[in-house]
Amino acid sequence: MATLLPAPARRRRTVWRDTAVGWSFILPNFVGFAVLTLVPVLALFYLAFTNWNVFGLAEWTGPANFQRLMHDASFWTALRNTLYYTVFHIPLTMVASLGLALLLNRKLRGVAFFRTVAFFPYIAAIVATAQVWNMLFSPEYGPINHILHFFGFSGNPGWTVSADGSMPAVIIVGTWREMGYYMLIFLAGLQTIPGELYEAARMDGANAWHRFWTVTVPSLRPTTFFVTVMLTIGSFKVFDLILLLTNGGPGQSTLVLSQYIYQKGFQENQFGYASAISIVLFAICFLVTVVQFLVNKRRNA
Amino acid sequence: MKRAITAVLGLGLAASLALTGCSSSDTPETMPTGPVSITLAGWSLSTTPEFKTLADGFHTANPNITVELKEYDASNYDTQMTADLAAGSAPDVYVQKNLKMFYTYQAGGQLLDVSDVAKGLTSSPGGLSGYQVDGKTYAIPYRQDSWVLFYNKALFDKAKVAYPDGSWTWDKYAEVSKSLTAALKTAGSKATGDYQHTWQSTVQGFALAQTPGASLQSGDFSYLKPYYQRALDLQTAGAQPSYGTATTNKLTYQAEFGKQQAAMMPMGTWYIATLLSQQAKGDADAFDWGLAPAPQFDASTTGTSATPVTFGDPTGLGINPKIKKEKVAAAKAFLAYAAGTQGAKSLAAIGITPAASAAVADDFFGLKGMPTDDLSKFAFAKHDTKPENPVSKYTAGLQNVLNDLHSAVLSGSKDVDGAIGDAQKRAKNEVLNS
Repeated sequence: MATLLPAPARRRRTVWRDTAVGWSFILPNFVGFAVLTLVPVLALFYLAFTNWNVFGLAEWTGPANFQRLMHDASFWTALRNTLYYTVFHIPLTMVASLGLALLLNRKLRGVAFFRTVAFFPYIAAIVATAQVWNMLFSPEYGPINHILHFFGFSGNPGWTVSADGSMPAVIIVGTWREMGYYMLIFLAGLQTIPGELYEAARMDGANAWHRFWTVTVPSLRPTTFFVTVMLTIGSFKVFDLILLLTNGGPGQSTLVLSQYIYQKGFQENQFGYASAISIVLFAICFLVTVVQFLVNKRRNA
Repeated sequence: MKRAITAVLGLGLAASLALTGCSSSDTPETMPTGPVSITLAGWSLSTTPEFKTLADGFHTANPNITVELKEYDASNYDTQMTADLAAGSAPDVYVQKNLKMFYTYQAGGQLLDVSDVAKGLTSSPGGLSGYQVDGKTYAIPYRQDSWVLFYNKALFDKAKVAYPDGSWTWDKYAEVSKSLTAALKTAGSKATGDYQHTWQSTVQGFALAQTPGASLQSGDFSYLKPYYQRALDLQTAGAQPSYGTATTNKLTYQAEFGKQQAAMMPMGTWYIATLLSQQAKGDADAFDWGLAPAPQFDASTTGTSATPVTFGDPTGLGINPKIKKEKVAAAKAFLAYAAGTQGAKSLAAIGITPAASAAVADDFFGLKGMPTDDLSKFAFAKHDTKPENPVSKYTAGLQNVLNDLHSAVLSGSKDVDGAIGDAQKRAKNEVLNS
């Protein structure tokens, strides 16, 4: 027995050393993640079942917050608006960014310049761009309505200051802002498609339209999947854009879930209730992403 | 976003475990004889001189006590203060920037009972009642702004319209605004009769303060109707820039009045200091202006023999219950100084409306650039100022509901009756039931 001891002990020591090395590699990032993200997120799941108001103790109220949610008309309005934004923002951004990517994936003069220009909205400060867009949308003095009038459009849409026009205005700006970023991802995807595929398709007599549908779209599927997932999560969590552009108004016409969380939490100090809404938003993002992964898996199979 | 919320939550949770409430002291508080320093919260110190003025003035009067300032961000003041209080790192004395948050601090046990300071004050500062809960006082107001009517004498002269005389109701105001707009247009000016800033207070503050029987907590908002109808009417008539134009172009009230874009503007008295300094620096045009009492609900409170009703929230000082026991007396003395005549005079000297405003009217009107007519003095010194945010657990929630009503009505997205109906339903189902 005694003679057998050294071998497992040494193995145990190497295992331990490997583990320690592994941990030390991820530790710097993990500590930050744990302190700033993981622990607060876990706290969120606890707080959602309490009536915590920043000071004092968090009193356990069980599912009361969630029961209140069911009957909270503002919550449903916010949820409806979030879905409205998502349903239009995702396809529009996909089409716009893919179109831009196709356009800028060919050899043309100054392509680097145009790619930079298309990417610019994404890196420009949202505070500044929201202000400029608001001025463009101004119903009486804004250039957008002037251009519409020039082309014979008779109405005077109120855009960010009308209940019907505010959400379309937000969607337009949201699409404008994000298309450059996703264009970059699509561009990277396009450049991985081997040129031989196009050549072969051309030999078989496929026109540009056919080549797009039979070569480009299938080859881009991994990229498209990634973009869809990122866009979906981004759309559900939209916040800064709306806060700066319309502040949820007029009325509640552009109130979205993340802003409602902000209102309940930081303006009305109902942190327990705000946590409950956060969990609902988390659950929605989680579910939609899982469904997308499942659909993608089945398609690839 | 979610991350930001939870970060604060986590921080607060950890801190609240360490928080054990304030201990009551049995030993009487005595003024320190040796050197002591207390800390005071303030915001935007470079452009908001009031904190330094009070701190320096108090130090001169009590050389052994130093008041150190701790700077906060003006627009995130309450969020940062909440985090600091929960974490136990807040200053000894902190400012109640608005009444909306006072309830949260008071109910959360973050304010020391300062009833003895209130009792010891010789003058009774305006707005004190806003800080009283169950017979105890939790903060002492040092400034009390009230809403008045600013008007541009040069534009009135140009339009050949008589100046306000203190007898105006809102209907009269609307009528004058329209005739001003027309007359200014004939005279070749693009200025409008009045400017109403985009805040909900510009309509709702007056409606709540002036309408007999109006109450925020009642959940009955019908008192808002005539005020909104008038605002919409002025907007349609072109007598004031529309809500849409004001929000999309981010019009500032300082430029609208200071650059003579509008002949009249209801605004809080804090704007006096800004206007004086902007005129002196050239950021605003040089023109003669005056103050008039805010237009009234009906004729019963108009005229210089009556007391005009207006609104405004006090700004007060409260004491952090976690202050070291030996510093409590010094902090209380500072509160009494800030609210007293000496503090009031030093505030008036920099153009700020102290809570004891009547006592310093002469100092105030001695400032360079101030109007000197009697009505301006009357408007500044005499008014019944009601709180815009009556202290209650529901105030923040109700104000959010009413803010939605404000943008919906003034943007023309909803008619007045419909919007009031919706707001009442929301108030009942979402705020008053929790």
